[in-house]
Amino acid sequence: MTANRESELDRLLRELPGTVGPTSQAGVIRCNCGAAEMLAAVRSLVAVSGRLADMFAVPVAPSKDHSGSLQRVTVFALDRLGVYVQLSSPITDGATEAFTTVIPGAYLEECEIFELWGVVPEGGTPLNRVLLPPSRETSGPLRGSRHRARSAWAPTEVRAPQVVQGEAFEFPVGPVRGAAQESLYLGLVTTGEELLDAYLALFHKHRGIEHRLVGLAPEQALFLVERCEGQGAVGNALAFARAVEAAIGLAVSEPAARTRALALEMERLYNHVASVAAVCQATGLVVGQAAMEILLEDCLRLNATALGHRYLFNVVAVGGVQHGCDVAALEASLAGICDRFSDSLAALLATNSFVDRLENAGIVSAAQATRLGLVGPIARAAALDLDSRRDHPWNGHYLGLGVATEPDGDVLARLRVASKEVAETERLVRHWLRSSELLDISDMPGQPLGGPFETGPAEGLGWCESPRGEALAWVRVAGGRVGAARLRPASVRNWRAFDDALRARNVFTDVAIVEASFWLTVAGFAR
Amino acid sequence: MTRRGTSSPSLDATAPVRAVSVREAADELHRRSVQAFGRSLHIRTVDTGSCGACEAELRLLSSPRYDLHRLGLFFAPAPRHADCLMVTGPGTFAMDHALMTTYEAMPDPKIVVAVGACPMGGVFGPDEYTHSDLSAQLPVDVYIPGCPPSPLALLQGLLLALDRSQARRHGQPELGA
Ligand code: SF4
Repeated sequence: MTANRESELDRLLRELPGTVGPTSQAGVIRCNCGAAEMLAAVRSLVAVSGRLADMFAVPVAPSKDHSGSLQRVTVFALDRLGVYVQLSSPITDGATEAFTTVIPGAYLEECEIFELWGVVPEGGTPLNRVLLPPSRETSGPLRGSRHRARSAWAPTEVRAPQVVQGEAFEFPVGPVRGAAQESLYLGLVTTGEELLDAYLALFHKHRGIEHRLVGLAPEQALFLVERCEGQGAVGNALAFARAVEAAIGLAVSEPAARTRALALEMERLYNHVASVAAVCQATGLVVGQAAMEILLEDCLRLNATALGHRYLFNVVAVGGVQHGCDVAALEASLAGICDRFSDSLAALLATNSFVDRLENAGIVSAAQATRLGLVGPIARAAALDLDSRRDHPWNGHYLGLGVATEPDGDVLARLRVASKEVAETERLVRHWLRSSELLDISDMPGQPLGGPFETGPAEGLGWCESPRGEALAWVRVAGGRVGAARLRPASVRNWRAFDDALRARNVFTDVAIVEASFWLTVAGFAR
Repeated sequence: MTRRGTSSPSLDATAPVRAVSVREAADELHRRSVQAFGRSLHIRTVDTGSCGACEAELRLLSSPRYDLHRLGLFFAPAPRHADCLMVTGPGTFAMDHALMTTYEAMPDPKIVVAVGACPMGGVFGPDEYTHSDLSAQLPVDVYIPGCPPSPLALLQGLLLALDRSQARRHGQPELGA
C-alpha cells in the first residue's frame, strides 16, 4: 500500500465513530459501534467511496436455537484502499436504523434480516419477501419453528395473467420453467411485446444452508458450502475456507494457494463459456450455441481430468486443497480450448443478426451498478473498474492483472467482458504453469485439519473473485465448530439489478437474453 | 442406482467420456424408448432446490457431444406432453405445490427419475426447509446417483427408467425391485 493510501486510511479510521478493534487479518478492519453510531459510520464510509459488500445479523453468542441477543454486521469494501471494513453493532429492541436512506443497495439485506430475525429497519422503505416464501413466519425461520410439524407448503396466492393497467397484463413465468432451468418466479408486465415491468421471486429454493452450517466442523461445512451454488463451488468454498483460516489462524502453503487460484480460474473459464452458449441459445443462434457447448463440455472434461471433478467440487479444503492438479493435462488442452473460444466468439461478433439482438438489450448503467453495489462481470460491463483479485489481493498471484471493462452496460458489453476475461484467465494459467509451483496430482493434499481447535470464539472474513464477481463469507468458529456463518455469493448482490435491466426499453423476447447474459444462479441467492 | 449388473458404460462422473460409450448408450436408449412408448420420450424437469450443477448436466444432454434429440429424446415444454419427470434438488417445501401440480398434469404412464444425490437425501437432511428424499413426495422409479450425475450417467438412468416402465406396463416384476 502506498504512503498516500496509508495516510488516507489512518485518517478514515481516526474519524470513524466506534472502536476500531485489533485485527489479525490482513486486508480487514473491524470496528464495533454503538447502535446510535452506526448511521454516522456508514455515512463516513460512503463518503470515501465505500461499497456495501454485505450486511447480515447474527447472534452475539453461538446458540443453535438462536435465542439471545443479536448484532448487525455490515461489511464495506474500500476498493481503492484495498481493505474491507467490518462494522458490528448490537441490535436492540428488535429494530435497527434503516440504511436504505443512505445506501439504496441495502434494501435486500434489510428484507433478509427482517425475514430471518424479525428485526425491523426503522425509517426505511416498505419491505418485500426475498428469502422465505410468504407462508413462513417472519419471526425468523429458527425461532420457534424448529419443532414445528412439517407440512406441504401451498401458496397463499396463485398468480395468473391479470390486467395491470390499460392493455398491460402480468404474464407469470415459473417457478417451474423450461428444460433444466432453475426455479424462480418472474412476473412480466407486458402489453404483448413491450416489457413494462418485471417482478422477481427467488425464494422457492431457499435451503437454509447458513443455518445448517452451525455446529458442523469447518471441513464438514465446506461440503454444504460447495453445494450452495454448484457452478460457483470453488469461489464460495474458497471464500469460506479463507474465512475459517482467518478465524483460527491457519496458514496455507504456497503451492496449495496457487492450486486454489488455478481452480478458481478454471471455474471462471467454464462459466464464461457457458454464459456465451446460453446467450446464443436465447437468441436462437444454434450454430453458435453448438460451438460453445462443445467447448463447455471440453472445459468440464478438462476440469475432471486436471482437478478431479467436472464442477471442481472437493478441490478446496480448509487449510489447503484436497486435490492436486494434473499439470500435463492442463498444458495439453487449455490453449486449444481458449483459441477455439476466441475464434468462435470473433465469428459470433461478426454476425450482425446476432449482435443486433444484444445491443441496447438489458442495459445496466454505471449509476445503477454503483447504487445497487453490483460486482463482477455485470459491474465491469457497466464501466465499474472492480475486481477483488486486484483490489483485495490475497496472494501475489494476480500481479499485473488486466481488468476488462466496457462502457455500455448492455448484453453485448457483458459478452465482450467475458471474452476478455477468458483471455486473461488463459494468460494467468499459462504463466502459473510456466513459472509456479502447483500441487501436482501425485502430491499430498493440503494440510489435514485437526480439530477441535483450541481457539476461543474468533471471526474471519473470506473473499475471492468468483465467476459472477466478488464472493464473500463470514464465519465465527468456536471450539472447532462453526458458531455462525454467512455466505454471500455474487448472485446475492447481482440479482437485484435484473428487474431494472428488464425495465430498460426491452421487448418480451429479450428476457431470456438478458437472463443468459447475467449468468446468475438462483441457488446462490436462495442459499 | 437400483440396477442389476450391466455392461453399460462407466458411471464415474469424473472419468473422461469415450465417444463410443455415448453412442452405445444412446442407441440402446432409443431402442428401448421406442419399445416402451412406441415413439420418442418426452422429459419434464423440476428443480426443487438444486445447486444448479444437476441442471447444467441435464442441459448438456442436448448439446452436440450427446445430442439426444437424434434419438427421439426431448425436453417437453409442458407437463401435459411429458412421459418422464426428472427431479433435481432436496425438495424444498416452497416447491411442493409446483412439483405436485407438474406431476399431476402429466398423463399416465409416467415415470419419475430422481437426479443426483439431493433427492436421494444425500446432501440435505429432512428439516424445516426440505423433504430431503423425493420418495416422501412421489413414487420414484429410478435414482441416478452422482453429485452431479454426468450426462452419461443421466443417459444410463433413463435406460433404467424405461426398463421399469415397460416391466410395469406388462405386469412383470420390476428390475432391481
Ligand atoms: S445432487 Fe449435487 S450437484 Fe446435484 S443439485 Fe444436489 S448438490 Fe447439486
